[in-house]
Amino acid sequence: MMRGVSKRIGSIKFSALSPDEIRKMSATKVITADTYDDDGFPIDMGLMDPHLGVIEPGLRCKTCGNKVDECPGHFGHIDLAMPVIHVGLVKEIKKLLQSTCKTCGKLLMTKEEAQRKAQEWELMDDLGGDAIDYRLLAKGTAKDASKNTTCPHCGQEQGKITLDKPTTFREDGHKLTPKEVRERLERIPDEDLPPLGIDPNSCRPEWMVLTALAVPPVTVRPSITLESGDRSEDDLTHKLVDVLRINQRLRENRDAGAPQLIVEDLWELLQYHVTTYFDNQTSGIPPARHRSGRPLKTLVQRLKGKEGRFRSNLSGKRVNFSARTVISPDPSLSINEVGVPYEAARELTVPVHVTKANIEVLKAMVKRGSNPPLEDGRYAPGVNYVIRSDGRRMKVTDRNAEMIADGLEIGYVVERHLMDKDVVLFNRQPSLHRMSMMAHTVRVMPWKTFRFNLCVCPPYNADFDGDEMNLHVLQSDEARAEAMILMRVQEHILSPRFGGPVIGAIHDHITGTFLLTHKDPKFDKQETLSILSKVKHDHLPEPVVVDGKEYWTGHQLFSMVLPKGFHSTFKASICRNCAVCKKEECDLDAYVKIREGKLITGTIDEKAIGSFKGKILDKITRDYGADAAREFLDNVTKLAIGAIMVRGFTTGIDDEDIPEEATRQINEMLKDSVRKVSEYVQAYRDGTLEQRPGRSLEETLEVEVMKTLGSARDEAGQIAGRHLGMENSAVIMARSGARGSMLNLSQMAGCIGQQAVRGERLSRGYWNRTLPHFKKGDLGAQAKGFVQNSYKSGLTPTEFFFHSMGGREGLVDTAVRTSRSGYMQRRLINALEDLKLKQDGTVRNTADMIVQLQYGEDGVDPCRSVQGDAVDIDDILAEVLGDDAEALARLEEKKVAGYATMEKDLMETIEEEEVEEPEYDAGGGGGED
Amino acid sequence: MARKDTFKALLRRGIDEATADKLLQGYSSITDIAAASAADMVALGLTEAQAAEVSKLLGKAKKEGVKKAEKKEAAPEPVKKTEFQRVVKARPLLPMEEKLNKLLSDIGKFLPRRVVVSLAERLDGVDLSESKIKEILLKAAEKYELHKMDANESAGILAAQSIGEPGTQMTMRTFHYAGVAEINVTLGLPRLIEIVDARRVPSTPMMTVYIEPELAGDVDVVRKVASRIEKTTLLDIADIETDIANMKVIVHPDRSKLEQKGITEEQIVERLNKDRRLRGQVALVQDEEDKDRRLIIISSEEASFKKLQGIVQATRDAVIQGLDGIERAILRNQGGEYVIYTAGSNLREVLAEEHVDRKRTTTNSIQEIYDVLGVEAARNSIIHEASRTLGEQGLTVDIRHIMLVADLMTNDGDVKAIGRHGISGRKSSVLARAAFEITATHLLHAALTGETDDLDGVAENIIVGQPVTLGTGAVNLVYVPKKRPKEASE
Repeated sequence: MMRGVSKRIGSIKFSALSPDEIRKMSATKVITADTYDDDGFPIDMGLMDPHLGVIEPGLRCKTCGNKVDECPGHFGHIDLAMPVIHVGLVKEIKKLLQSTCKTCGKLLMTKEEAQRKAQEWELMDDLGGDAIDYRLLAKGTAKDASKNTTCPHCGQEQGKITLDKPTTFREDGHKLTPKEVRERLERIPDEDLPPLGIDPNSCRPEWMVLTALAVPPVTVRPSITLESGDRSEDDLTHKLVDVLRINQRLRENRDAGAPQLIVEDLWELLQYHVTTYFDNQTSGIPPARHRSGRPLKTLVQRLKGKEGRFRSNLSGKRVNFSARTVISPDPSLSINEVGVPYEAARELTVPVHVTKANIEVLKAMVKRGSNPPLEDGRYAPGVNYVIRSDGRRMKVTDRNAEMIADGLEIGYVVERHLMDKDVVLFNRQPSLHRMSMMAHTVRVMPWKTFRFNLCVCPPYNADFDGDEMNLHVLQSDEARAEAMILMRVQEHILSPRFGGPVIGAIHDHITGTFLLTHKDPKFDKQETLSILSKVKHDHLPEPVVVDGKEYWTGHQLFSMVLPKGFHSTFKASICRNCAVCKKEECDLDAYVKIREGKLITGTIDEKAIGSFKGKILDKITRDYGADAAREFLDNVTKLAIGAIMVRGFTTGIDDEDIPEEATRQINEMLKDSVRKVSEYVQAYRDGTLEQRPGRSLEETLEVEVMKTLGSARDEAGQIAGRHLGMENSAVIMARSGARGSMLNLSQMAGCIGQQAVRGERLSRGYWNRTLPHFKKGDLGAQAKGFVQNSYKSGLTPTEFFFHSMGGREGLVDTAVRTSRSGYMQRRLINALEDLKLKQDGTVRNTADMIVQLQYGEDGVDPCRSVQGDAVDIDDILAEVLGDDAEALARLEEKKVAGYATMEKDLMETIEEEEVEEPEYDAGGGGGED
Repeated sequence: MARKDTFKALLRRGIDEATADKLLQGYSSITDIAAASAADMVALGLTEAQAAEVSKLLGKAKKEGVKKAEKKEAAPEPVKKTEFQRVVKARPLLPMEEKLNKLLSDIGKFLPRRVVVSLAERLDGVDLSESKIKEILLKAAEKYELHKMDANESAGILAAQSIGEPGTQMTMRTFHYAGVAEINVTLGLPRLIEIVDARRVPSTPMMTVYIEPELAGDVDVVRKVASRIEKTTLLDIADIETDIANMKVIVHPDRSKLEQKGITEEQIVERLNKDRRLRGQVALVQDEEDKDRRLIIISSEEASFKKLQGIVQATRDAVIQGLDGIERAILRNQGGEYVIYTAGSNLREVLAEEHVDRKRTTTNSIQEIYDVLGVEAARNSIIHEASRTLGEQGLTVDIRHIMLVADLMTNDGDVKAIGRHGISGRKSSVLARAAFEITATHLLHAALTGETDDLDGVAENIIVGQPVTLGTGAVNLVYVPKKRPKEASE
C-alpha cells in the first residue's frame, strides 16, 4: 500500500485519436451487430467480444488474461463503410472549409496577411492569454481568411460554405459529402493550422471526419442480467448495434452497386446514428429512443451536467466508513463531541496497526468478535476485519474470533469498531461553508440518533425537526492529525466570514443566563448546588449572608465560569439605547461590566454569549484560545440549564394576555385607522388627494394607506407592549434575544397588520377585487388585506385567506432563493477555488498571476481580525497602560466622545431597524426555519 | 505576464523545459529574452550552444516580423523607462500619525495605515511618554503579526463561502426603497448576483449626484441641475391636442411646469425643429382666447392622417431637456446639503454638467464606472456595491472577502464576470472548465488545440484523485530515516 508521499500526475495532454491509432489500439474489429449467441456466450467480433474486457465474474479477459476488476477493458473498433462527420466538431470543420482553398488547401491569406496574424499570435504569447483569448484569435484569423473569395496561392475561386445543422455542409447550395469534406481537410498543410487554433500534432483536420469508430470496452457499458434471466444492454451498446447494422447494410449496398439514392440514404442514416451515438441532444435531429420511449443516454449525456461523470463521479465520490441518521440534541455533551449509536459504531471501523505496545489490547478486541454484547451494560469495541501482513482480509465472526485473536501478529492491521475519543467528521448539507463539516470526538451511546451539543446548531444550521446528518470516520493517521488540528469544533468558533463567533449559546441557554444574572438574584445553598451540579468547579465563592442564611448571587455564580483575569465592558441585548447611558446605574441592568474575571454589573444575554453576537465568547476565544472557549461554552450552557431549571420557565398563550381595557384601546385605534383609510380613498375618488412628487395618484394613495396601516400595527403593538412587562416569559425571550421578537409578540397580542405580496397591498384574485366578499373597486383597508385581529383573537375567514396569501409568497420566495443563491455560490467557488495565499503574502491563481499584492490590503486573516480590524486597540491600550489608571481613564473618555465608536453605535441601531422591516411585510407568517 | 504563460510560449518555440526554466530566472517575457545577448544567457547557467540555440529560435520568430526587427535595430539606444508615478489620493497624514509612523520605523516594525490612524486618533491629545507609546506600538505590531493569514491558506474558497453562505438568508424581493421613497432599487440577492455577473446594465440603474460643496446648500441651484439632467419630454410639460379638421397638432405648454423646469417656449420650438419629422412645420403663436399664453402649432405639410399620426407621436416623445437615460431626478436634503438621486444612469454626461461635484457623484452601474473612470474605480465600485448590498440585509461579511472577489474580477484590466463567460471560462485547466459547465465543448476543443492540463488547481486534482495544492496539500514534508550505523556498514 502506498502511503504518505506518493507519485503525482504531472500533467494531462489532450489530443484527438487518428483512425490509425484507433485501429492500432483496438483489441478486435467489431463487425457483427449480434451480441450473444443462443447459448448466451458473446459472439466473437461482436459488441460483447471477450477481447474487449470482462464483466462477468469468473471469466478471464482474452486480451490481458485478468479477471473482473483487474482487467481495465480494451477498446475495439468499427471500420465505417463511408466517412462520417463528428458532430462535436462541425463548427471547426466549417471554419476550416471556409478559411482554406477548395483546391490547394492552403489558408486563404497572402503571405503578408499571414505574417501579420503570426505577429498577433506572438504578441498574445508575449502578453499571456487564456483559453478564450486564443480561441477568439483563431476565430478572427478564420474570419479574415474567409473574406478572400479567391485563393491568393492558386487563384481558385472559392464557393460559399454553409452548414445545414447538424451535419450537412453545402457549397453554393450543393451538398458536400463527408468524403469530399475529408478530402479537402486532408489537403490543408500542417503549417497553416496553428493560426486557426489547431495543433497539427494533436489533431489533423481530416480526423474530424471519422473513418473508424472506437468501440469502448464492455466495462464501460456493462449489460445487466435481470431476475428473469433476460439480458438488458447498456444504451451505448444499443447505439453501437444501430451503427453496426446500418454500416453493414451500407457496405453491402455499395459493394453490390445499388442505386446512388439508396446508398446516400443509408449513408445519411449512418451519419444520424453516429451523431446520436456521440450526442443524443443535438439540436435539429430527433433523439434516438429506447424501445420504451426513453431517450438514450449516449456519450455526451454521460459526461454532462449535474448527474454527469464530471460533477457526479469525478468531482465527488461515494465513500465508505460513513453513516447517516437523524440528529437530536444532548446538552450533556461537550461542544466537540458527537453521540454515535451502538449500531453505527459497530459498522464504522478504524484501522489500527498492530504493534508491540497495543497487541494485547487488540487481541482482547478481536476476541470479542464483530458483534459483542454489552459488558456490564457498557459498550466495548469489537473488530470486523483483520488484515494480514500479506494484505489478505479476514472477516471476524463469532466462530473464528478466538482463532484470529491468537494468530494476531505485529504488522497486522485490525479494523476495530468506533469507540469513545475517536475523531470523526460530522457534516450537514447543504455544506455552504467550512463550518458545515467539522471534526468531533466520538461518544458511543445507546439509541439510534446522532447527538450533539446545541451550541453547534448555528454553524450546521441544524434543528431537530427531522434533520439528518452524515458522519465520516477518518482512516489514516495523517487525516486524523489534520482533522484534530484544523477541523475541530473549537477551532471554528470564530467565523472567517465576519470574525465573530458562529458557535454559541442559543434559546434556553440565553434565557437561563438571563434569569441567572438579570438584576442579580440570590439563590440559597440548595438552589446554588443544584445550579452548579453539572458545572466544573472546585469550591463555592464567598456567600452573602442575609438574616443568618447563606445566599449566592447570580453574578457570583456566572463569574465562576469566566476565565481568570477576564476583562470586558459592553451593552447587553436588552439595552434600549437611551440617549444618555447611565452605565453602571442602568435601570435595565443592561450595562455589562466584567473586571478580573468577575461580573460586576449587567445581564448576560445574547450579546454576551449568543452565537453571532456573543462578545464574551469572542474575547475568550481570541485571548485565551479555542480550548478555553470550548470549556467556557460547556460550562456556561450547563450553568444556564441549571439556572433555568431552578427558576422554572414556561411560555404559553396566556403570556399574550392583555387587559380588556387595552384590547378596547387597540380596537378603537384600529377602527380609527381604518376610517382614516376610507377617508383617503374618498379623497382619492373626489380628486382631492394631494399627489406626491414623482408618483401617480394611485401610488400616492397606496403609500398613504400603507403608512397609516403600518403605524396602526405599530401602535397596537405598543399598546399591547405596555402590558407585557419584563416578568413575562415571552418578553424575556424576545428581549434577551433567546427566541422571537417583540414584533412577534405584538402580532400575537395586538394586531397582525397589513398583508403584502411583492411589497404591495393584496390586489389579485377576482376582477377588480380580492374576494367576492367585497365590492368591486373597494380600496378600503379590509378589502385589500389588512388583518385587524391578532393571532390570539383569531382571524376572520377573509383575513385568514389574506394571511395565507402573504405566507405563500414567503414560501415561494424561500424556494426560489435557495436555488438562485446555490448557483451563485457554485459559480463563486468555481471562480475563486484556485486562489491561494503564497509565502510572499500575495494572492495568486494557478497560472501564477497576482490577484492581490497583499491579501485584503493588510494581510490579516478575517478569522483572527477583531470584527474586521487588524488589532484590538482597546485591548492593547489596557494591557500596556494597565498600571496607569489615570491615562487609561483619559483614553476611555476619548473613546466615548470619539468618532469611531459613535459610528459603531449608530450602525447597530440602524441594523435593528432594518431587520424588523422585512418581517412586517411578510406578515410574520412562519418565516422562521 | 504570468511566468507560466511565458514558459509555455517558450516551449512552443521549441526550447526545451530545462533551458526555459533557466531563462525565466533572469527574464520575464519573450521579448526580453530575444533581446538578451548570448553572454547574458550564459550567465544564467546555459551553455554557449544552448544560448545560441535560444537566440536562433527566438531570432527566427523575430525575422519573420521584418518590420518589428528593423524598428528594434533602428532605435536600440534610447531605452526609455517609463517612470510610473504613484498617485497618492489618500489624505495627508496628520502630525500624530506622522509621529507614530516615525516611531514605528525607529523600532523597525510595520503597522497598516488603518491601525496607525485609529491609534493616532485615540492617542492624540493624551499626553503619554514616548516610551509608553513605543510600547503600545510594539504590542500592536506583535498582535498584527499574529493576526496575519498563514501562507498557503485557500483565501479564494474562504471568500467565496463567506459571500455565498449568507445568500440563503437574503431577501429575494426586487423592489425596496432605499432612502428615497420615489426610486426603486434592486436589493438583496438579485442585486448581489447582478454584481458578480458584471451585467452591462443593472436592472435598476441609479445615480447619486452631489453638487459642489459651496453650492450644495442652495436649493435653487440644485433644482436647476436636477431639471437639467432629468429627461423631460414635451408631454411632461404641455398638453398636446390634435386638430384633425385642420390637420394640425396644437401644443399647450403648462406655464407653471415650464417655470419649474426652467424652459421657455422658444426652447421647445428649437428642440422640436431639430426633429427630422417636424422640421419646418413648427410655429409659435399667441393664444387667441388667452392673450398671455402662447401655443405651438405644428401643421402637417401633407394632408395625410398617417403623417399626422407620425407628427403626434414625434411631438409627444420629443425630448426637450435632460440627459439620455435619466428618467427621474429627485432632491433630498441630507445633513444640510441637497443631493440629487436619479432613476436611470448616465455618468459620463452628468459629470460634464456644471456645478456637479465630480469627486462624489456616483452611479450603481459598475460597467459605466469602468467605461468612464477605469478599472480601479470599477473595482472600488464592486467592493462598495457588494458590501452595501450585504450590509443592507443586516449581514456582516468581512471586506477582505469582497475585495478579493473584486480584485479577481478586475484582474486583467477589464471587468470580468464570475461564471462561464468570465473567470471560470478562462481557467488554464481543461478539466476544471469541463467540470464547471459546457463539458463536451471544452474537451473537444482541448483535443484540437492539443492543450495540456498541468493539474495545479483544485478541481483538476480532485478529478484525478490526488491531494490539492492548497493548505496542507501545498507542502511536502519527507522524512527519510537515517540508516542505523550497523545497517549502513553492512
